[in-house]
Amino acid sequence: MFVHIRDLHYKYPNAEELTIDQFNLTINKGGITTILGESGSGKSTLLRLIAGLEMPTKGNIMVGDDCMCSHSKFVQPENRGIGMVFQDYALFPHMTVKENIQFGLLKWSRKEKKTRLQEVLELVNLEGYDKRYPYELSGGQQQRVALARALAPKPKLLLFDEPFSNLDADLQIKIREELRKILKTTGVTSIFVTHDQEDAQALADNIVILRDGKITDTGTPDEIFGTDCDISERLAVKPRVLSKL
Amino acid sequence: MSIIFVSLILLPNLSIIVQFFSESNDNWTHIKEHMLSTYITNSIILILFVGVFTALIGTSLAWLISAYDFPLRGFFKWGLILPLAIPPYIGAYTYHGMLNYTGVIQTTLRNQFEITVNQQYFNIMNMPGAIFIFVMFLFPYVFTITKAFLARQSTSLIENARILGSSSWRIYFKVVLPITRASIVAGVSLVILEVLNDYGVVKYYGIQTFTTAIFQTWFGLGDLNSAIKLSGTLMVIILGLLILERVLRGRKRFSFTTTKVKLLKPVPLKGRNKWLAFSYCMGIFSLAFILPLLQLIYWALLTYEKFLSNELFSVIGNTVFVAFFAATIITVMAIVISNFSRLHRGLTAKLFPKITILGYSIPGAVIAVGIVTLFISIDELIYSWGWTSSYILSTSVVMLIFAYIVRYLAVAYNSVESGFERIGTNFTEASRMLGNSVTQSFFKIDLKLIRGAIFGGFILAFIDILKELPLTLILRPFNFETLATNAFNYATNEMIHEAAIPSILIIIISAVAIYFFHYVLERE
Repeated sequence: MFVHIRDLHYKYPNAEELTIDQFNLTINKGGITTILGESGSGKSTLLRLIAGLEMPTKGNIMVGDDCMCSHSKFVQPENRGIGMVFQDYALFPHMTVKENIQFGLLKWSRKEKKTRLQEVLELVNLEGYDKRYPYELSGGQQQRVALARALAPKPKLLLFDEPFSNLDADLQIKIREELRKILKTTGVTSIFVTHDQEDAQALADNIVILRDGKITDTGTPDEIFGTDCDISERLAVKPRVLSKL
Repeated sequence: MSIIFVSLILLPNLSIIVQFFSESNDNWTHIKEHMLSTYITNSIILILFVGVFTALIGTSLAWLISAYDFPLRGFFKWGLILPLAIPPYIGAYTYHGMLNYTGVIQTTLRNQFEITVNQQYFNIMNMPGAIFIFVMFLFPYVFTITKAFLARQSTSLIENARILGSSSWRIYFKVVLPITRASIVAGVSLVILEVLNDYGVVKYYGIQTFTTAIFQTWFGLGDLNSAIKLSGTLMVIILGLLILERVLRGRKRFSFTTTKVKLLKPVPLKGRNKWLAFSYCMGIFSLAFILPLLQLIYWALLTYEKFLSNELFSVIGNTVFVAFFAATIITVMAIVISNFSRLHRGLTAKLFPKITILGYSIPGAVIAVGIVTLFISIDELIYSWGWTSSYILSTSVVMLIFAYIVRYLAVAYNSVESGFERIGTNFTEASRMLGNSVTQSFFKIDLKLIRGAIFGGFILAFIDILKELPLTLILRPFNFETLATNAFNYATNEMIHEAAIPSILIIIISAVAIYFFHYVLERE
C-alpha cells in the first residue's frame, strides 16, 4: 500500500457537523483513484487534508514510508513532496510558463532545471511555449502547464481538484484521455476529486464515492458502474449511481 | 509582530479613556454647563447637511458617468476625483478671499458694473458657507466609492431594469439608489469622519465644534485635563455613529460574488440632455477645482518672488521627509498585519482590522491629546531613570510620525487588504505545494502580485499626511513647518496671498498622486 489514510476526521471551526467523518483509504503505487461526490460532500476538504493545507482533527496519513500526519506530527505542505493541480490552476500570473514550471525546483542546479523543463513540456505537448505568460494561453494549455508544474519536482503523489471543471465538454474528453496516458507514463500515484461520473469512469483505476464526509461505496469503475461500458448502457445505469450518491 | 503593531495603535486611545474618568476641574464644569451643547449642535448640523449633500451630488455624478455618454465623460471620470487634492481648509480661505469685499468678484462688479452688493449675500464665513466648502471638497469620497460599485456590481441589474422597460429616472430611484446604499453609506461615513476631524475650516470660519474646543481648552486655557474630557466625549459620539451605521446596514448585503465583471455600456445622450449632463459635471468641477485653483495661481503670481527662498525649500523638505518616512512605515505595518489576519483564523485575526480602522475614525485633535499624554509619561519614566537630561521623545519629530501612523494606518491597510482579497490564498497554497515555505511564498508570490495595491496604499497615506493639519499643528517640534501648517498660518494671519504657494504645492503633489493612483487602478 502506497497511500494509507486511517480514521481521518475533520471539523471546520464553528461548524456543527464533521466535514470528514471516519475516512479510510488505501491506494497502490501508481494507481489513479477518483473521489466522486456532489458539492458539499467534503471531497475538496479531503484533498486539502492530504495536501496539508488543513489540519485534521484526528487520524493518520501515510504516503510511501513517511507519516504525513498523526496525533503527534504534522508535516507542512511544502515538506510533503505532494503535488497538486488546482481547480483554477493558480498559475502565477507574473511568471512565464518556464518560471512557473521551474518554481518548484528549489534545490536543483541550473542544468538540471533546464533538462527537467524540456522533459515535462514534452510530456504535456507544449514544447516552445516556455516564454509565454499564463494569460497568453488557452484554457486547455493552462491546464497542461499546471500539470507540468505539479509534475516537475517529481512528487510522490499528485492531487487534482476538479481538474476539468473549467474546460469545454469536447476539450474535456480529449484532455481526460491525454491525462490518463501521461500519468501512466510517469507512473505517479494520483488522486482526483470530481463531481462528474464520466470523468471518474474514464480516468480511475479505483473510485471512492463520498457523501456527507463518509464513504458510501468503493470499487473499480466496472464494479461501480457495471461491466458494460457502452454509452447508452452507461446512461441507463446513471439512476442507480445517482441513488448511491 | 502584528500584535505589537496593533497595541501601538491602541495605546493613545486607551490613555484618553483612562484619563477621561479622572477628577474634573472647574473648567470642565463650565464647559459642560454652558458650551458643550453648542459644540454638539454645531457638529451635528455640519454632519447632517454635509452628509446629505455629498450623498446627493456624489451618487448623481457617479450614476451619470457610469450610465451615460456625453462630452468630456472620459475626463470627468477621474477629473471629479481631483477636488480631493484640495484640502477643505485651503478651499475655505480661497473662497473667502474670492468673495470678500476686496476679492475678485466684488471688485469686478464694482469697477466694471458699478454695482455694490449687499455684504450679507457674499459672506461665506458662516455655517452654510462651511457646509458648502465641505460638500465641494469632500463629495469625491462618495463619488469614487459609488462609481466603483456601479462599475463592478450592477451591470446585469441595470440592464434588466432597462429591458423591463423602466425609464431612466425610475431606474435611478428604484434600482440604483437602493443597491448602492451600502457604498453611499461607506462614502458618507468617510465624509463625516473628515468633517469631525477638520480643524482648519471651522477655525477659519469661526464655528465652534469639538475640534476647535479641544484646541481652545488645551492651548487657550492650558487645560489638558478638560481637553481629554472633550476628546472622550467626541470618541463616544463617533463610536455611536459607527454602531449606528452597522445597525442601519443590518443583515442586508448588496454585493454578490460574481467573477464575471461586465461593464455597463453607457447610453449616448442627445440634444438638451447631453448638455445638461455636461453642464452639471462641469459646474461642480469648476466650483470644486478650477475656480479655487485659478485664484490660488493668481495669488501665487503676486507673491512668488518672496518665496523662492531657503525657507520654502526647507518646508518642502520637511513635508516630504515626514510624509515619506511615515508612509513607508505605515505600508510595511499594513502588509504585516493584513497578511497575519489573512492567514490566521480566530478572534485576534478578525479584531485587528477593526482596531486599525479605529485610528482613522478618531479625529486628529483627539489622537494628539492621547499621544501627548502617552509620550509625556514615557518621557517622565525615561527621565526618572536618569538616561536623559530632558524630555526627548515629546519634543522630537518621533511623536509626530507616531501620530501619523496611528491615524493613517487604516488607509494603507484597506488598500493592501483589498489586494490580498483579490488574489485569494490559491497562489500561496500552490507555492507551498511546490515546496516553498510560507515566508518564501510571501516574498516570491504574494508581494509581487499585490505590488499595485501596496503602491496605492503608500500613495494614499502619503497624500493624507501631506495635507494633514490638526495633528501637525499640535505635535510638530518647535519651528518645524510643513506645507500644510505653513499655508494655514499665513491664512489665519490674514496673509492669504502668501498662503497660495504652499497651497498650490500641496494641490499639485496630491493631484499628481491621485492621477497616478487612478491610472494604476484602471490598468489593473
